[in-house]
Amino acid sequence: MIHRECGVLKTTYEADMALYPLPIARWTVGVLAVLFFLVVPMTVHEYYLSLANLVWIAIIGALGLNILVGYTGQVSIGHGAFMSVGAYTAANLATRLGSPWPVNLLAGGLMAALVGAVVGIPSLRIKGLYLAIATLAGQLIIEWTINHVTFISGGVQASIEVARPRVGPMVLSTQRDMYYFLLVFVGLAIVGTLNLMRSRIGRAFIAIRDHDIAAELIGINIFRYKLLAFAISSFYAGVTGVLYTYFLGIANYEQFQITVSIDYLAMIIIGGLGSVLGSIFGAIFVTLLPIGIRYAMEAFGGVFFSPQTVLNLIPNLRLMLFGALIILFLVVEPDGLNRLWRNIRNYFRVWPFAY
Amino acid sequence: MRHHLAIVTALILAVGSLLTAAPSHAQSKSEIVIGVQCDRTGPTQIVGTVLCPAFHDYIALVNSRGGVDGHPIKAIEIDHEYKVPPAVESYERHKKEGAVTMAVYGTPQIYALTAKLTEDRIPGTSPGFGSAAAADGARYPFIFPIAATYWSQGAAAVDFVKKQLGGNLKGKKIAYIFYDNPAGREPIEVIEDLATKEGFQLKTFAVPPPGVEMGAQALDIAQRFRADFVIAHLFGGAPSVSIKEFKRVGYPLRKVVSFVWGAAEANIDGAGGFAVAEGYYAMQFAGVGTDYPVLNEIRDMYKKQGKEPPKEMASTVFYNRGVLIAALHVEAIRNALKAKPDGKLTGNDTKAGFEKISNFTLGGLVPPLKITATDHEGGGLVQIWQVKGGKFEKVTDWFAAYQDVVGKHIKEAAKK
Amino acid sequence: MLEWQFTLLLLSNGVLIGLMYALIALGFVLVYKATDAVNFAQGEFVMIAGFVVAGCLGVWGVPLWLAVPLALGSMVAFGFVLERVMLRKLIGRPVIAVVMATIGLASILRGIGPFTIFSGTKPLPLPVSDEPFVLGPLFIPPIQLTGGLISLAFLAGFSWFFLKSRNGVAMRAVADNQQVAMAMGIDVERYFGLAWAMTGVVSALGGILWGNMLGVDVNLALVGFKVFPVVILGGLDSIPGAIIGGLIVGIVENVAAGYVDPYVGGGTKDFAPYVLMILALMIRPYGIFGKRIIERI
Repeated sequence: MIHRECGVLKTTYEADMALYPLPIARWTVGVLAVLFFLVVPMTVHEYYLSLANLVWIAIIGALGLNILVGYTGQVSIGHGAFMSVGAYTAANLATRLGSPWPVNLLAGGLMAALVGAVVGIPSLRIKGLYLAIATLAGQLIIEWTINHVTFISGGVQASIEVARPRVGPMVLSTQRDMYYFLLVFVGLAIVGTLNLMRSRIGRAFIAIRDHDIAAELIGINIFRYKLLAFAISSFYAGVTGVLYTYFLGIANYEQFQITVSIDYLAMIIIGGLGSVLGSIFGAIFVTLLPIGIRYAMEAFGGVFFSPQTVLNLIPNLRLMLFGALIILFLVVEPDGLNRLWRNIRNYFRVWPFAY
Repeated sequence: MRHHLAIVTALILAVGSLLTAAPSHAQSKSEIVIGVQCDRTGPTQIVGTVLCPAFHDYIALVNSRGGVDGHPIKAIEIDHEYKVPPAVESYERHKKEGAVTMAVYGTPQIYALTAKLTEDRIPGTSPGFGSAAAADGARYPFIFPIAATYWSQGAAAVDFVKKQLGGNLKGKKIAYIFYDNPAGREPIEVIEDLATKEGFQLKTFAVPPPGVEMGAQALDIAQRFRADFVIAHLFGGAPSVSIKEFKRVGYPLRKVVSFVWGAAEANIDGAGGFAVAEGYYAMQFAGVGTDYPVLNEIRDMYKKQGKEPPKEMASTVFYNRGVLIAALHVEAIRNALKAKPDGKLTGNDTKAGFEKISNFTLGGLVPPLKITATDHEGGGLVQIWQVKGGKFEKVTDWFAAYQDVVGKHIKEAAKK
Repeated sequence: MLEWQFTLLLLSNGVLIGLMYALIALGFVLVYKATDAVNFAQGEFVMIAGFVVAGCLGVWGVPLWLAVPLALGSMVAFGFVLERVMLRKLIGRPVIAVVMATIGLASILRGIGPFTIFSGTKPLPLPVSDEPFVLGPLFIPPIQLTGGLISLAFLAGFSWFFLKSRNGVAMRAVADNQQVAMAMGIDVERYFGLAWAMTGVVSALGGILWGNMLGVDVNLALVGFKVFPVVILGGLDSIPGAIIGGLIVGIVENVAAGYVDPYVGGGTKDFAPYVLMILALMIRPYGIFGKRIIERI
């Protein structure tokens, strides 16, 4: 806490460029890892694990969207559609070919990446609002295609049931099993994103966001990197879709409609554009907000209203609060929860001194 | 300053909700818990805001009589806005509270929860929506449509049209206008089957969600295809729009029959009122109107508490459906308690309880369903009512049609 | 009926519906033209206006001649308040901020809506008959004819406003370059407010007309999605573009529904305009009449 950077001296380049060079950061990450991998699943009731599972899935999706919107500055409202592409690819492979889940996961992600790159082609000509609307069109078209092409959707129902994933002899079906399964991927996604952003590709993305004309002048191939951004972001989305399918046991396109895309956008805006921690905060916040509101209303609502009115009030209140919070964060704290966290952290960095 | 205020408020809320959100295990005494899902703010709020209060009203009625064999019933409702993650979360929450039966709401939700309900062995109901293949109790042991599925509705609609057109459909033209999502498309295969069997020409007209604009389809049906009858399968706000569109293109509403979710007072009101919709036929899976003993009992219950009956009761179609669903759940619990009088019910017990339901009509509100271990639908019974003279008038009594064709489709679906 | 007669029917339906779409798109264009703000909540504006009028007529028993001005007034006030409270803070922020702000606004309005008329679909009766005019083979619903005429009236009115009237020219100056306009002594904030107020008026009328056509409930907001193909095709800041774009979208939708649907199993009607829009974006991003230059890479 106090003067955390003092006394930390590196002797090799690798040590200096490590992901977490400060001992305190390493300790924190270690403690969190132990907490989430060991302590939480052992002690907490299954219901809370199911909440955690929903949050894990949301984190991976939010990370992907943040790569595209936060780091590369390309607005996309098509995230839900890419998730559904991944989900249906995996579901089709699982039911038609009976392939194991790692293959399905990878295939789903790659297929989504391909579709994402195609949808991203307009980004080479247009920016800002126009790109947002083009991706919206992409979302609608993909939805329609999945809905109507029975080869992809598996019939009139547009739902494909998939078997539970197997790891060796174990079948993962309870919330606890799913918890571990998803946590592994969340860890991979977080580490992957952090490293991606420190690499050459990540810096190219940030350059494109900040000033694309200047980026092109210094030799970054905008064409390639924009498509790459769409592809990588859609890969994350596809993986999210596949994981969601395995979590539920079924792939259904109605779960990936435009409201989902908007939810993910809300997550990264509230959490903070252009930061991994922001994506995590945003995902947790947006996923748990409705539940939190419900608990709060159940606890306090009885004081003011009759039970029936409370039931009617809760969902409307949730919508209003959701919208109000988005606007609040945009107006008051444009850099989201991430900035709030950084402020707190910076305060404690030099505590008990003022600066 | 505003940051501090925000942090303090958040802390108070968090602490408060933690204190009061301590798990309220419902297995205290001998309370029996039903997990109820609802959509009060999403695209089907027109249904949810009436159906769910009806559920609670019926449970309140049962509890005011001492519950089922002395066990009070607790119905926990969670709204999910017609989205899937909140539905999954609400399912887990209901499980935590010890629910032994689930009233699921919404087609994507029942699809998402099918695997979990089966694994956790808790029965879930999907009346009037969900997968028609779930009528097969052997394939889906824990999913209970408990009301006519879309396949049965489609078959019944064709049968009704046949009777309206003089008993013979050969050479006639039937238009099927539907909401372009899986639920809307589901009956098509059955109706196509019947088209070959009965010799009529079928043309389908998709209305893309959200179904706010269907002028071209209405024009086509009325002027180009010139349908002899229209079967409509629309949801949410689309039925009202369809009534207006048909009027606008001059197509007589007495040649239109709608599936169960386009059949309520709210749909008629939205179209401009009963006077506008004169002649419209509507399929129901619960009785319509206020003339049922159980509704009188609910009204009396409110009067005894010194309150007015809720205004939701005026929307009888959806309200009665809510009562029907609640009544069937309670009946299943009653059957389960007969088999296990000690009151410690599990999902298996309520499943068996559902499968014993037969001849339970609640004064005519509920069709004479017969739910068995292999038939979770109960017979596919519907009624047809018509908008006449400012209100709904009953046209037919409970009937089911072409159950052999429907059964064939169910068997084919089970093979997949 | 003969095939060409049916085609004619479809086209006339398309034209009329297109003019109704244009009415909503006008609200969007007004805001963008004057303030550079993208209003993703246009559908919700229409919905709230519809709620106010339907509530007045149905729940509170206010007569029509009073309800309409009430709706207009409240929408204008709403526009002013919105601009002052929310949008002023977002000036200069990247476009995603404004997009998300209006999406947040849409969410709030959707939550509040049911409180004004307590759920259920309410009708919005107007003194316009439901029976269609029959003109040869054509069916012309009076409500759509009214809507179309109102759209065209707005087209004429706003075009005159922006070209000839002092306020209109000032607004165009503000849209062009805020700094210079301020330097010339134009009260930028006042004109922002005025633009939002004008959008309020247009939305109110749109809400009344669409509310009559569709019935007033939460789903009314969904007509807002139709706005995007219309304004992209017509040009984000062009008023005649909104009308032309609306006509194109209306006609394309109906032709798709009538002729493409039977081959692909239906549903093309909704996204055919979007496909067209993508083509337009690739070829001519600023629309048929738009004047803004978009940076191209």
